[in-house]
Amino acid sequence: MALQDLILKLHAYWAGQGCYLAPTYDLEVGAGTMTPDTFFRVLGRKPWKTAYVQPARRPTDGRYGENPHRVQKHFQYQVIMKPAPGDIQHIYVQSLSSLGIVLQDHDLRFDEDDWESPTIGAWGVGWQVMLDGLEISQFTYFQQAGGIELSPVPVEITYGLERLEMFLEQKDDIYDLDWSKDVTYRDLRLTEEKEFSEYNFNAADTAMLRTFFQACEKEAVSLIGKGLLLPAYDMCLKCSHFFNLLDARGAISVTERVKMIARIRAQVNEIAQRFTASGRGS
Amino acid sequence: MEFLLEILTEELPATHVKTALEQLDEKFRDEFKSAGIAVQAFETLGACRRLIVRADTVSGQNDSANVVTGPPKSVGVLPDGTFSPAARGFAKAQGVPVESLEIIQTPRGEYMGTRKVSKGKPTQEVLAAIVPAIIASISFPKTMRWREGPFKFSRPIKNILCLCDGKVLPFSLEGLDSNDTTSGHPIYSPQLLKIKSFQDYCDQLKKTKVIVDPDERRKMILGQIEERLASLKARIYPDDDLLERLSYNVEYPCVILGAFPEKYLTLPIEVLATAMREGQKLFSVVKDKKQLPYFLGVADAFKDSKSLIRKGNERVLKARLEDARFFWQQDVKKPLAERAAGLKNVVFQEKLGTYDDKAQRLKKIAGYLSERTDAAKVKKEAIEAAGLCKADLLTEMVKEFPSLQGKMGGLYAKAEGYPAAVYQAIYEHYQPAGLEDDPPSSLTGALVSLADKIDSIVGVVGVGVQASGSSDPFGLRRNAQGVAKIILNKKLSISFPRLIDKVLSIYGDRLSKPAEEVKTTCLDFFAGRLRFIFERQGFRYDHINAALGPGMGDIYDAYLRVKALAALGTSPNFEPFILMAKRINNILKDAPAGKINSELFLEKEERDLHSTFTIISENVKPMIEKGDFARAQSIIFKVQPLLNIFFDKVLVMADDKKVRQNRLGLLQAIRKLLLQVADYSQVVVEGDRTAKPGNAR
Repeated sequence: MALQDLILKLHAYWAGQGCYLAPTYDLEVGAGTMTPDTFFRVLGRKPWKTAYVQPARRPTDGRYGENPHRVQKHFQYQVIMKPAPGDIQHIYVQSLSSLGIVLQDHDLRFDEDDWESPTIGAWGVGWQVMLDGLEISQFTYFQQAGGIELSPVPVEITYGLERLEMFLEQKDDIYDLDWSKDVTYRDLRLTEEKEFSEYNFNAADTAMLRTFFQACEKEAVSLIGKGLLLPAYDMCLKCSHFFNLLDARGAISVTERVKMIARIRAQVNEIAQRFTASGRGS
Repeated sequence: MEFLLEILTEELPATHVKTALEQLDEKFRDEFKSAGIAVQAFETLGACRRLIVRADTVSGQNDSANVVTGPPKSVGVLPDGTFSPAARGFAKAQGVPVESLEIIQTPRGEYMGTRKVSKGKPTQEVLAAIVPAIIASISFPKTMRWREGPFKFSRPIKNILCLCDGKVLPFSLEGLDSNDTTSGHPIYSPQLLKIKSFQDYCDQLKKTKVIVDPDERRKMILGQIEERLASLKARIYPDDDLLERLSYNVEYPCVILGAFPEKYLTLPIEVLATAMREGQKLFSVVKDKKQLPYFLGVADAFKDSKSLIRKGNERVLKARLEDARFFWQQDVKKPLAERAAGLKNVVFQEKLGTYDDKAQRLKKIAGYLSERTDAAKVKKEAIEAAGLCKADLLTEMVKEFPSLQGKMGGLYAKAEGYPAAVYQAIYEHYQPAGLEDDPPSSLTGALVSLADKIDSIVGVVGVGVQASGSSDPFGLRRNAQGVAKIILNKKLSISFPRLIDKVLSIYGDRLSKPAEEVKTTCLDFFAGRLRFIFERQGFRYDHINAALGPGMGDIYDAYLRVKALAALGTSPNFEPFILMAKRINNILKDAPAGKINSELFLEKEERDLHSTFTIISENVKPMIEKGDFARAQSIIFKVQPLLNIFFDKVLVMADDKKVRQNRLGLLQAIRKLLLQVADYSQVVVEGDRTAKPGNAR
């Protein structure tokens, strides 16, 4: 089963669970959690079910295409259900069976792993799901987002698509994965990994990135003032990405790091407050 | 009556299972006891998906008789012998005929009253109220919500089974109604099981691949480990924490033996073990202290019939080891000394500067310590290690496996060819990591570890952070305990006030708090930690108070003092001596400072006391300096008979002011000498309970 078949099967499964299949969001994010289809939809009382593929960029994870497991961009399969169904764990386990994994032959474990994203003021409680020692998913009951206590509690399930595919294809090198019958992960991504690793670690203009960060932060503040919360949030996502690039360039000290994250979070929390207060999530 | 409770949950962290079972045990026993329900058998069991309580109890509470009193007899019975309205009102309120009221004798006098026998309730009725309250009261290190409302638990509760003699004990908790069903292992047997009794419960669950008893699972794991390793004639590297965690993490343990390519054996054993334990919770396999290219894992599975679990774990471990090998190869390319320069960019604490600042301080502190502790011969090595010890924070390996900090630095230093005294010191400088961990074995390791810990404590206190209650920012307590442990282990004599002065002077104007305040806080803090350590070693609190009475000077001295006190505690002379010390203390309580003028001694008894005391004082001086408190103490005891006679024959508070001051001066001199050994007045003896327990902070 190629990676795109895996995506198709997950789509079929979660659509069957009533999820709306969202298109990939068109901005750089570090995790599917940060996309508006998750961030805004977990706020407030309105029920929401969605599933989508989201590329996640983590510039510091770049390895110039030389490491068989680490890449600066990977693909997540993101599922949000609000409220979390009572038997959501079972529903998730069934999704693995739907991929043809015979669980009786494996060791499936839910290992304590509490998740937090300080940048968007979010945290949750849950597990990393391990299949024969390999982490294939992150399973989280969201408790807070944008600094706001969430009720009803949403569940977020994030599959690491490459990890899961390596398991399914029994391959040791990410670049050997088949994306489709004719196209490998190497064909699609190797050059990208090499070039972006070089960009992330060496070529990115840090002065420019700092200017961008400040400009986007300023724009976010101004847009919040105008009540344009979705565009303001986009600006925060851009800040977060510029921050990650600066981090990969080694241009941020430990204290500065904490301060910059806090600056983004302050705007994100403000957006979440106003979004909820305006009744848009209910 | 047989009581069975099962709280079925989504996967609880191992530590949460453990604390929940401990709390259930305590709370149920307490509740049974206070409800007057006798318990014949009781146990708590469980695993990651279920918490179980099982008890055999009597079927009901004992009946209890209560006396209810009403108005005093004088108010209740009128002079004509009839009942007053007050008595009638009381009887009515109690629902008994007024004629049935009795006269009850109470400490306050005679009262009207009635005896009521309250029938003991059936155990079931009592439990129906108790059980949901107990479940809701379990506390966890971290909790979550999963449905509407504020209710929190470690992880979502799926079902509550609760039976009394096979019948459902009905109650609801957060939308769940108790019932007589459960389910087995979610992969093998997710369907509902109907349960009749505890025996039935255990049998049915075992069939569906759930072993409810943690001890049984642990035994299964150990047994299977032995089986798997039999042909290799090897054993696992012992790791009790991991074994315990795994025995709670699985419902049906299946031990998997896997292998990894031999080329990874060139990695240090520390790296191999950490990659296995922290990444995948695997045991490493050793034979004759050598690592073998195998591992053992514990799966939550019935069996690995297709070897898929083994192969999966092998692939993941291989990837991790490949990463580790890559990190090692990258890291050794850059010498530690060169790497240490990069510490300028790593903040230790915002106000205390970078790790480079810290390293520079550590060099000075380690140098000072080696001069003050007869360790001058390793001064050069200690300083060199101090300068390098934090460099490994910048290695790829430590970024990946933070728990290897220190150890990696030591291993890299060894690979670079540094002398043993240097690389060992780097390797060991985080030790002891906790109360149970060993202090550094090398002298240089002890010095660098001490320097690191003292630097952190003084610095962190100096910018106004304090350990209080359960919060211990920057591991202040752990560090202080580590300091004490190292000093006692290596028998290092160091003046603490002076050491702190030294560290304060090295910090210079970086600290925001006044130096005197920092010093006092640090000394108090150390005294508290020392008290805690001594108590753990079994010393009496009053001996500890006495030993610390002279002040927090030298930790090793304090230990010798408390040991001397404990040793003498059994001697017959001890108690009278203590009482004497207290008597001296009392007399001197508000006395002005006296001055000895030997010409003013009028009586023979005081002259004798003075001359003997002078000799003793001279004799014990070198002993006290050497820290031989036991001997000093036994000699000081010799002053006691003369003191007895002195107090019998001589009036200290003489009318003549000069005579009086002279006598007080003599006693003050004696007290001063005693205080050099211990504050004996703090020791508690029979017939005197004035001394108070110290605060173990």
